Amino acid sequence: MNPFVFHSPTKVTFGEGASWTAAEVAKDFGATKTFIVTDAILMKTGILKPIIESFEENSYCLFTDVPSDSDVDTVDKAAAIAREFGANCVLAIGGGSVIDTAKVVNICLSLGGPLLDYQGLNNLSDRLGPLICIPTTAGTGSEVSMVAMVKNHKEGKKLLFGSRFLAPDAAILDPTLLLSLPPKLTAATGLDAITHGIESFSAVISSSPFTDAMCMEALKMLFENLPRATANGADMEARSATLIASAMAGVAFTNSGVGIVHALAHATGATFGTHHGLANSILLPHCMNFNMDSIANRYALISRYLNFSSSTNDNDAAAALIKAVSDISAQVGLPTRLRDCGIPVLDKRQLDELAFLASTDPAIMFNPKESSAQDIIGIYERAY
Amino acid sequence: MPVYATTEELNATMYELWTAIKQDPDMGPKLLQSKMIAQFHYREPDGRITVDCSDGTEMKIYTGECAVKPVVEMFMKSDVAHEFWLGKIGIPVAILTGKIVSKGPVNQALALLPVIKPAFDLYPAIYSKHCSSAVAAK
Repeated sequence: MNPFVFHSPTKVTFGEGASWTAAEVAKDFGATKTFIVTDAILMKTGILKPIIESFEENSYCLFTDVPSDSDVDTVDKAAAIAREFGANCVLAIGGGSVIDTAKVVNICLSLGGPLLDYQGLNNLSDRLGPLICIPTTAGTGSEVSMVAMVKNHKEGKKLLFGSRFLAPDAAILDPTLLLSLPPKLTAATGLDAITHGIESFSAVISSSPFTDAMCMEALKMLFENLPRATANGADMEARSATLIASAMAGVAFTNSGVGIVHALAHATGATFGTHHGLANSILLPHCMNFNMDSIANRYALISRYLNFSSSTNDNDAAAALIKAVSDISAQVGLPTRLRDCGIPVLDKRQLDELAFLASTDPAIMFNPKESSAQDIIGIYERAY
Repeated sequence: MPVYATTEELNATMYELWTAIKQDPDMGPKLLQSKMIAQFHYREPDGRITVDCSDGTEMKIYTGECAVKPVVEMFMKSDVAHEFWLGKIGIPVAILTGKIVSKGPVNQALALLPVIKPAFDLYPAIYSKHCSSAVAAK
């Protein structure tokens, strides 16, 4: 068995309306001044009102300027406001971009100094101030993960931060916040969570029985409930299950890593701005086919657990899982080809650049099979 | 007991290894192309090596303190470096288990890994040449 370290430091609270207790949770961490990070679209919907109203006047400061593609300028701006306010707690309410921004703001707020000093893996030497996350999508797992990524638009670079000290102290999972999430976003973020489950389980050098258990149960909940949550956004049970499963898959992947699907999705997203979950959903079956000869036995375990196959032949059972992945993407109405996402035909130089980006993405370290630039281009072309 | 008894052994081994990489007709030019400046910080015993490919024409290798500002820094115990060069520990697991700290753009550091892989074969002999405990173990 692999040697492993498993961290799960985030206190997870689930319940309909659980987010209204955010102020109490903050108080439990000794917070007297909470910096709330969210985005303008969420603010407009009004669903944040009960959360914000749970805080006493003057005990919070609201920052709503996080764009969908957050970057270091946003972080710097938010951190300056948080410092000025004297914040001793950060609360993130939103999707992956908001939560990642809040994590990096928390680094600035807690440790000070230039942000670039903290870029890297295991590069935080000290605990940060309390961070509470309330996800409003079910997919990124960022509310429980130990990583954050923000872009530097000016330099065309992305900054990766990874440390056990980045894990939020608390995640509040409130399915009522997801009821108005549009079907396309529900589907794409849900496929992101499915990708986390499959890639984390496939990371044979770094997975553990802890992460395996999280992946299996998360995948079961996602395959059963994502079509329901997409078809009927008001289906509270389906929303709850996908939200919980997303966090479970998040705990898994933050401990064992992801793989080539994420590496290629990051490269595609960086080059064309393709939605991360959507890119994952399109690339996932093609990458699984690529990995098949290394890991059919692991795919087969998932397939049998989810009742996609009862075959004792690993290749047959694994093929059934890959088909189920393709089927669920189609069922929830996501495009199945990259060319259907506005990505133009690439020439050889562009393909080489994309392959280079993917091959140097940290996610690829955990893939069960090594891949050459030609392999990566092959996957991309098959997905196109 | 650490695999390197002294900083001198460690620095001498790493200096010779990186010199071999620099002189290799395949690895050297590829590293120069990256224009990377990487610094490796070791502890138990302490040591430091800086590999500067920034001018794209000559790879410069420094041991100990140096004024060159690195793009990527890696921090680890000397024993972890030894296991890495022997191919006994992978970077992913070393990072997940907290054995390696990486500072700076991780993707640029990862781009170097496939390039330096052939040096795994060179390491055992260089280590044996410089390390007293390796000689004693023979």
